[in-house]
Amino acid sequence: MTTPTATSTLPGRTVSLREIGPARRGTREDEVVVAVSPAFAGHFSKTIVDVPHAEVLRQLLAGIEEQGVTARVVRFRDTADLAALAHMGAKLSGSGICVGILSRGTTIIHQKDLPRLSNLELFPQSPLLDAAVFRMIGSNAAQYAKGESPQPVPTRNDQMARPRWQAKAALLHLKEFECIEAGRGPVDVELVFESSNAG
Amino acid sequence: MTSTAPRTGTAPRQSLRTEILEARPVNLDGFVEEWPEKGLVAMESAFDPAPSVRVEDGQIVELDGKTRDEFDFMDTFIANHAIDVASAERCTAMPSAEIARMLMDPRASRDEVLAVTRGLTPAKILDVVKLMNVVEIMQGMQKMRARRTPANQGHSTSARDNPVQVAADAAEGALRGFAELETTLGVLRYAPLVAIALQVGAQVGRGGVLTQCALEEATELELGMRGITAYAETISIYGTESVFIDGDDTPWSKAFLASAYASRGIKMRFTSGTGSEVQMGNAEGKSMLYLEIRCILMAKGAGVQGLQNGSISCIGVPGAVPGGLRAVAAENLVASMVDLECASGNDQSFSHSAMRRTARAMPQLLPGTDFVCSGYSSVPNADNMFAGSNFDTEDFDDWNTIQRDFQVDGGLRHVREDEILQARDKAARALQAVFAHLDLPPITDDEVAAATYANSSNDYPFRDVLSDLKGAQSVMDREITGLDLVKGLEAAGFHDVAENLLTVLRQRVSGDLLQTSAVLTADFTPLSAINDPNDYAGPGTGYRLEGERWEQLKKLRHVTSSTNPETEVG
Repeated sequence: MTTPTATSTLPGRTVSLREIGPARRGTREDEVVVAVSPAFAGHFSKTIVDVPHAEVLRQLLAGIEEQGVTARVVRFRDTADLAALAHMGAKLSGSGICVGILSRGTTIIHQKDLPRLSNLELFPQSPLLDAAVFRMIGSNAAQYAKGESPQPVPTRNDQMARPRWQAKAALLHLKEFECIEAGRGPVDVELVFESSNAG
Repeated sequence: MTSTAPRTGTAPRQSLRTEILEARPVNLDGFVEEWPEKGLVAMESAFDPAPSVRVEDGQIVELDGKTRDEFDFMDTFIANHAIDVASAERCTAMPSAEIARMLMDPRASRDEVLAVTRGLTPAKILDVVKLMNVVEIMQGMQKMRARRTPANQGHSTSARDNPVQVAADAAEGALRGFAELETTLGVLRYAPLVAIALQVGAQVGRGGVLTQCALEEATELELGMRGITAYAETISIYGTESVFIDGDDTPWSKAFLASAYASRGIKMRFTSGTGSEVQMGNAEGKSMLYLEIRCILMAKGAGVQGLQNGSISCIGVPGAVPGGLRAVAAENLVASMVDLECASGNDQSFSHSAMRRTARAMPQLLPGTDFVCSGYSSVPNADNMFAGSNFDTEDFDDWNTIQRDFQVDGGLRHVREDEILQARDKAARALQAVFAHLDLPPITDDEVAAATYANSSNDYPFRDVLSDLKGAQSVMDREITGLDLVKGLEAAGFHDVAENLLTVLRQRVSGDLLQTSAVLTADFTPLSAINDPNDYAGPGTGYRLEGERWEQLKKLRHVTSSTNPETEVG
């Protein structure tokens, strides 16, 4: 089992999400929506295994763009239910494809015509997701957007993830739920990367 | 093997001792602070309700501080079905310390305790066990376990869903002593073939071992009704209404499913455990143990004979908070003290630390429970499709040694290599014959040879998965039943295995396996709380590891002979 290399790339780089305005249905057919949860790159700055959210977004967007597809990042504020935000994100997406992600890193690729609790690909074990996986997820989402059928990103499994991470995952889940702002709709956001001196 | 990255950074210089401690496996485990407002607390929370009960016109109208109009559906179900209305007010009014003392005191019989516990509310039960430390909980368990003779349950799965492996490992597991064996799948469509393999392999190892296949509920029920499996366990229940609804279920729908099994004489138990509600973010601000007690009483109210609990797949949550394993021991005790069979956890990967893994099992292994593990991995953990157990095949000799050290019966025994090889070979050959009889994808002699000497799924030739999946579908389409397996075994000359399986199937007619804590002995006697009731009444009473069984458990892989110290016995 390979272990995620937490902060090996671009240490100290942070991102903030500047709200532009209410997210609307996209018109470009070559668009993938990246739907992020209420605390992503806000209350929290890194995944459960310390992959910076800046790095997560950088890899997802690079994976999408290297397929010649456009990415649009949307912040959801009224739900931290991954299936719900990704399904709504897919409905906003011009291609109908969305990558949904929670602050702790749990990720899903969704499509607007699927049932909410179904998905194209699901990555439930957040501690096993590293930069390389996020890039592959972005790339696959873009390929679905182009109407292709990519090989699913290889799934990982680690039976010792439970003792190490289960309780922290519960804690992060509870904290993310506290960041929910009921009644506030999804917003388009602009990514503002900053270099910090911390690294 | 671990999912964690080493902790790096430019921290100040550490002592050499700290470096050693930092590298210890226990520091790979996750630990968190409590957060009682959100239910991230084991069993001591100011937000749990105080006990209360009021009865009017033969109906409970107030339960733990809520009046009937404020009940959620868990309260309603428990008030209507789980609590004895006639004794509720009297029993709940008893001092909690008195009830806790009865649980420990050998002079109070199990039946006398049950006469009190059946009238208690969830908050009252919590109030009682909160008074008990872990040794007192163990003492309670020793008396309140329903079946006198403890037992153990094994997982038999394959990372490749290879039926030949499952048959061979089931035979070895049965021989080593597991009274129940369960399997599940990586690729769910493989289920019929793997369930057949488990059943055949188990009956080769030791006639009367019960088997089940954990699946989505409809298929699991169908395999049970067809006699391809013998019991069911993975029927999950939850302690809050919101989590229940999240799974599109209610206490009534689960009770209906339970009755479907009972209608065919098939043994079944529910599954629940501390931590599941907070894991799903809907603990409604209650402690893990309070919510688990609601589950236990819900199971009781549904009329099922037993429960698998002890946190189960959420063990990482109570395992990470203070007092978490005390709460887990307490939830097992509560299942037993309301007269349910308790299959007591120890069934999921729990810790990187061998010391913690062992310590976690002591409150169940030392007093004995109906099933000490509700899934000891009788395959290497890498093959465990239940996501890994607290113990696996590498721990067999350690487990046997601990049984011998403490003179406790954890349900297993050391078996000589030649017996194991013989059983594995026979199981693979029996399955080969059954597959041929049913016109399923053939099992080659090479596969049989591999099965005899294998450790893990990596040691077997690859099977043609697509053909297997077609064969699995045909088992369902052709409506193959347990009797077809019996015929195939008999036709191929495996008369003894056919006889074993037929005798297991016959149990569903008598319904004896519906009794609390029922298992089948090697001579097919159903052993349950009815004919093997726990009669512990203090020192020298109850189940004692002695006689022939103790002689069995004295044997280990290497024991120096006292008559000739230059040789080993066994």
